[in-house]
Amino acid sequence: MVKVYSITQCPWCDKVKKYLKSKNVEFEEHNIEENDADREACYKLTGDLVVPITTVNDKDYVLSFDKEKLDAMLGL
Amino acid sequence: MGIYDFVVKTSKGEEKSLADYKGKVLLIVNTASKCGFTPQFKELQDLYMKYKDKGLEILGFPCNQFAEQDPGTNEEVQQFCRLNYGVTFQIFEKGDVRDETAQPLFKYLVSQKGFEGFDANHPITEKLVAALKENFPHFLEGDDIKWNFTKFLVDREGNVVARFEPTTVPSAIAADIEKLL
Repeated sequence: MVKVYSITQCPWCDKVKKYLKSKNVEFEEHNIEENDADREACYKLTGDLVVPITTVNDKDYVLSFDKEKLDAMLGL
Repeated sequence: MGIYDFVVKTSKGEEKSLADYKGKVLLIVNTASKCGFTPQFKELQDLYMKYKDKGLEILGFPCNQFAEQDPGTNEEVQQFCRLNYGVTFQIFEKGDVRDETAQPLFKYLVSQKGFEGFDANHPITEKLVAALKENFPHFLEGDDIKWNFTKFLVDREGNVVARFEPTTVPSAIAADIEKLL
């Protein structure tokens, strides 16, 4: 399952989510502002606390709303 | 009316009296959003780490009255947001800092320390003034806050002793802070 790490009031997070929806990609949203476990998982994955982070396998991830990289990772 | 008479709200919505900071040296800053191109957050955090054990507190007040990013940096706008602004000092509720809608604390701060001009040597000064002239000409008039990251230094007795414009980077005011600690 594709995961998107986000925070509230984050325009780039909104863009990623909108883009995934437009491509019919199912994803789970994890708000690292609201959930301690998600925050830890995001930090463990990326070594930082910046969002949006999109990951397919909890190993490879794309930072920010970068269409090209998202397409490559998701095979779009 | 003094600085310790003000009550503000933290980013979590809890009321906080500035009287709780009596005896501390304070750096009060209007900050940009957590998604803009904002290298001053990092420098403020560095100052905080360096001096907090000696009695410095930094109080950040996010404000949306200025454009999202620094002027002249459109080319390199970062497309991500940072949790908690990437800082560990206190961030307060988002609110206005200039014009009629300004929070009372900021009306007080600018009444204590007016605008005396930008730092002419800072690389962004020229661009900032040009951007203000074009987009918000009235921002250049009077003592109100001109842009993100205006900093007010308050001594241990609560006196507002200095104002630094956005064009003075946080690391450049370390000596002024040390004098008060």
